[in-house]
Amino acid sequence: MNTRVEEALKGLRSGKPHDVERALETLQEIVYGFGMKVCGVREDAEDTAQETLLRLARQLKEFPDARALAVWLYKVAKSQCLMSRRKSKFAPAQMLSLDALMPKEGTAAAPATKSWEITPEEIVLNKELRRKLEDAVLALPPHYRMVLILRDMEQLDTREVAEVMGISEQTAKMRLHRARVSIRNTLAGYIQSAQRQEHA
Amino acid sequence: MPERRCKEIFAMLSQFLDGELPAKDCRQLERHLRGCRPCIAYLKSLKTTVEACRRYQAPRPPAPSKQVKAAFLAAAQKAGEKR
Repeated sequence: MNTRVEEALKGLRSGKPHDVERALETLQEIVYGFGMKVCGVREDAEDTAQETLLRLARQLKEFPDARALAVWLYKVAKSQCLMSRRKSKFAPAQMLSLDALMPKEGTAAAPATKSWEITPEEIVLNKELRRKLEDAVLALPPHYRMVLILRDMEQLDTREVAEVMGISEQTAKMRLHRARVSIRNTLAGYIQSAQRQEHA
Repeated sequence: MPERRCKEIFAMLSQFLDGELPAKDCRQLERHLRGCRPCIAYLKSLKTTVEACRRYQAPRPPAPSKQVKAAFLAAAQKAGEKR
């Protein structure tokens, strides 16, 4: 569970203006961050945060605990994002086939141990790789992208992801695996071509 | 990773990384990994990808708008009055 949501809920319940403002900043960071990861566009992320938080202000007292608040926040933010995407460049839903994602011998996606001497820190700290990661996430069909973001970036558990998405846990696991493999294959293609250029 | 067994293992990798794979499948997967270098390499690269996603931070947000701030302060005040 997102501990930041828990802290925010405490702040909101305290009723003290300073605590409420701090809680609001935390919630803004969570919802805006989620919007940026899903939409990739600053304006869409701002709209998502604005609309989600205004709705939250109207039903503040309805949440029994932080888990309920987190699930509600992501559910509403998810719908807001989909509406923003429809206005701009919403991609139609597609299926990712596991067969198509499975690496074939001799392709960039095929496993090559040497290519993956790269660390997770290098991926997020290297400007180009970080950009590749963002692009790969945004290139996923929306219902795969959301599952990956909720589970791996927002660090919800499988049950919470299924609840936010309105799907079964089994479907959430299936989508998550395909999304991860797709991202991994995109990064592999980039990492290998960068290494070929280095050695040329 | 062309073999049929590898294909079955490939479908289980995420659940294995998340510790959500049933014990029987887990044992099967670990047995396979002992003798299959491409699957080991793929698992490692998938783990790195998942870790990178976990460490990824979105850019910092702008401050909440005045409208949102006012709505929250009003809601908190209303809740305080009821208490």
